[in-house]
Amino acid sequence: MKRRNFLKFSAALGITPKKRLIPLTSDLYAFTSDSNLSKVEARYYKKLSHREVECLLCPRFCKLGDKERGYCGVRENMGGTYYTLVYGKACAVHVDPIEKKPLFHFLPKTMALSIATAGCNVNCKFCQNWEISQVRPEQITHIDLPPESVVKTAQKNNCPSIAYTYSEPMIFFEYMYDTSLEARKKGIKNVVITGAHVNPEPFTDLLEVVDGVKIDLKAFNQDFYTNYVRGELQPVLDAIVAASQSQVWLEIVYLVIPTLNDKTSEIREMCRWIMKEIGPEVPLHFSRFYPSYLMKNLPPTPISTLEKLRNTALEEGLHYVYIGNIPAHEAENTYCPNCGKIIVKRMGYLIEQINIEKGRCVFCGHKIPGLWS
Amino acid sequence: MSKVIIVKTKNIYNVHRDINTEKLTTLYQRGFYWLTGFKDSKNSIPALFNTAKKIGIKINTIAGKNISTRPKVSLSLADLLIKGGFQQKDIIIWDRTNRELKDAGYRLNMSQKGIKIFGTDSNPIGYNKNLTIHRSIGSRFSYIQTNTISQSISLAILKDHGLAGITAGMKNYYGSIHNPNKYHDFNCNPFVADLFDTAPIRKKHKLTVIDALTVQFHKGPAYHSRWAEDYGALIMSTDPVAADYIGWQTIETLRKEHGLPSLKQEEREPKYIKTAEQLGLGCADLTHINLIKEEI
Repeated sequence: MKRRNFLKFSAALGITPKKRLIPLTSDLYAFTSDSNLSKVEARYYKKLSHREVECLLCPRFCKLGDKERGYCGVRENMGGTYYTLVYGKACAVHVDPIEKKPLFHFLPKTMALSIATAGCNVNCKFCQNWEISQVRPEQITHIDLPPESVVKTAQKNNCPSIAYTYSEPMIFFEYMYDTSLEARKKGIKNVVITGAHVNPEPFTDLLEVVDGVKIDLKAFNQDFYTNYVRGELQPVLDAIVAASQSQVWLEIVYLVIPTLNDKTSEIREMCRWIMKEIGPEVPLHFSRFYPSYLMKNLPPTPISTLEKLRNTALEEGLHYVYIGNIPAHEAENTYCPNCGKIIVKRMGYLIEQINIEKGRCVFCGHKIPGLWS
Repeated sequence: MSKVIIVKTKNIYNVHRDINTEKLTTLYQRGFYWLTGFKDSKNSIPALFNTAKKIGIKINTIAGKNISTRPKVSLSLADLLIKGGFQQKDIIIWDRTNRELKDAGYRLNMSQKGIKIFGTDSNPIGYNKNLTIHRSIGSRFSYIQTNTISQSISLAILKDHGLAGITAGMKNYYGSIHNPNKYHDFNCNPFVADLFDTAPIRKKHKLTVIDALTVQFHKGPAYHSRWAEDYGALIMSTDPVAADYIGWQTIETLRKEHGLPSLKQEEREPKYIKTAEQLGLGCADLTHINLIKEEI
């Protein structure tokens, strides 16, 4: 997002930057002042000898000497104490339809105040938001938006939920956690849009304070995670299971990249795993890939591939399988698994019909999982 | 055959830990002599650089005052460049951020006059909007590296590095990109080599000077006095790989002298040096390096 648009958007949301931001030239990305970064002690780390620390937030377990930053670029060891540099430093603030996350079974037709900070703990070659996720916080414009202000902004914009999204919210864990607590006090729900490359302890703690999680499962094999994500698959699977066993609403998104993670056999294996570990009711979204970031050499995913994979998932018994990033495709709709009728009709992010009452299909009374009101 | 020079002296620091500028200048002069065959800067400097074009001295100030490129070390080099025909305004001493430069004792200068000293975060410098994609690298480069300068010296500190094994001349260029945190896996291999192989660096790099006046031979890259040795040397080479290889061997020697295991034993051998050799960036084989040592 261009700085001008960012400021315009911020102003529209009722947020005013406290400090004057550095003007940017047209083709360069200048810094904001690094003195404007936060210095809030991080959670989930271990102090080691000789002023070293070990980060315990994600499966990378970064071991850092004094003055070094983790892989995420937003947590720094300063003299043997580990700090988050992005607490209350939002680099993106938008009001989005919840369907954009995508969360299809969570307060449909409502808006979510969506926030992000800079940074990410993986480096997906196909990242759609790399301009904020793959930079350090001092390299992009951000505004001071402490937890209370996030909640007030959500209230002001009639958003019943706050979404932690765009980059990887786990790397701004402390900010997200405290904001979630603050939001709950005001009756606002919290949703996390994440790759779930996170350790069990922080994730379990997070599940206590949020209401919905959308997890990006980027492939169902470690090689893909090694070569294209720079992360580990197993922790993501563990997080999916943990979320499914909690009270938090879960949806899974799988971005289908031509030739790299689009094998029917792999998808079948993945669906069998989902059926075994979670059951048929978790929504699964197959999203269309568009060339981006370091992966511009591949074409967008053919629609036929997405349809084939969706059919595979349905064959394996999943009830709610969607196709994303193709507006107006019939697989954007929710179909009742009992009577087969359309119970939520979607057109892109627009909801045209909702045929669910009290969590049940209006046609046959079948219970539809999700948070509907 | 690649040539690497180690020029060494005793008592480079006085009791207040100030660098003896005279001795330092002599180290540089002898280094340039061995590299070019010319004793005076008027001849040695033009033999290595185009004095009519802007030159960058990429220093390393990440670790604070105790183990960063000290101002005297870079300014003494700049003085010799000026004596060799460069105009002051065409010399840029730089690193990632102004804060780190100031913390290391530098006084910033972005004016038209004098040697320029500033970080990439100076307004309106910053990073290029477009990514440079090459092998394992996908990064935005500092505008200084891509646009401001035409030729480059890597003036790096020699340090042990918990992840990379060692940090020296090639890894110093991590400070020229926006996302160095993404390149520390697998002992920084092949990332250091791949980064050096990108056009903005490979085409502009002319000289490596490794500041081994004080060497952090263990528990780096942060400063720990217990494992820092006043080694009193500069390592100079036009071969970036050979320079780093000799830097690595220097660290191994110091580690052995202090009863520490080798980097290989600690499973953090700097494999990126061999990778760089395989990419054709230089030589990492002692039998093909003409190592010249001079004690002053």
